[in-house]
Amino acid sequence: MRFLMISCKKAGFLLSKKEENKLTWLEKMQLKGHITICSFCRRFEEQTGWIILNAKHAHTHSEATLPEEVKTRLQNLLTD
Amino acid sequence: MAQALLQPDKWISNYSDALYAYTLVRVSDSALAEDIVQETFLSAWKGKDSFKGDASEKSWLYTICKNKIIDYYRKKGRDIIQPIEGKDVSDGFFNEAEHWTTTDAPGDWGIDYQQAIESKEFYKILNGCKKKLQQLQQSVFVMKYLEDLDSEEICKALGISSSNYWVLIHRAKLQLRACLEKNWINL
Repeated sequence: MRFLMISCKKAGFLLSKKEENKLTWLEKMQLKGHITICSFCRRFEEQTGWIILNAKHAHTHSEATLPEEVKTRLQNLLTD
Repeated sequence: MAQALLQPDKWISNYSDALYAYTLVRVSDSALAEDIVQETFLSAWKGKDSFKGDASEKSWLYTICKNKIIDYYRKKGRDIIQPIEGKDVSDGFFNEAEHWTTTDAPGDWGIDYQQAIESKEFYKILNGCKKKLQQLQQSVFVMKYLEDLDSEEICKALGISSSNYWVLIHRAKLQLRACLEKNWINL
């Protein structure tokens, strides 16, 4: 069964490959086995998934605005 | 007449702030984001005759902007000479057996991971953490998760190998998570 044991570092690495369905059969078994027994790596998967979920919408929470002088310049260019 | 669906005189008032915010979280540099937004409108203006009306004016402008952002990353990827192999800060999160160290193991955040967050403070810290990533790590993170490109497209655009890609994306996630735990959870 030793061939099924992987480290936390390797498990995290495989989690990214899993997102694109790039795991081999063996890697799938290794990752599944590891995640079942390692609560830290389960947290890592949940937390990074959550960070990505939020990062995708970060711009809708931004208060940044294009400076007025750039807007004026562009407005003139677009109406000429 | 598809062009009739475009209203260039209203572009700035309707879309400039939203496109700027969209770009800024992706390139993390205000002067650069201004340039990209400006180029987006100018390209759209020049190409307005090619607008077929298949998409809305808004999504057409976002597509142009998105392509400009990817172009920027593509050019930047070529310019970055950074060792990908070798040590990274995140290597220190693991012990000799490559298991989490006691100090760097993910802590309990006590939140619902299915629920997006609204807190402005969180997004400020997230941005700060993103900026701290190494340039290539930031590029792959944005292209993968914000622009929804797949690893093959990203490798091609940045001129990196797939094994480098998996290392970079993993390190980006390790560091972002750790930075948020340190600066947001343990605030």
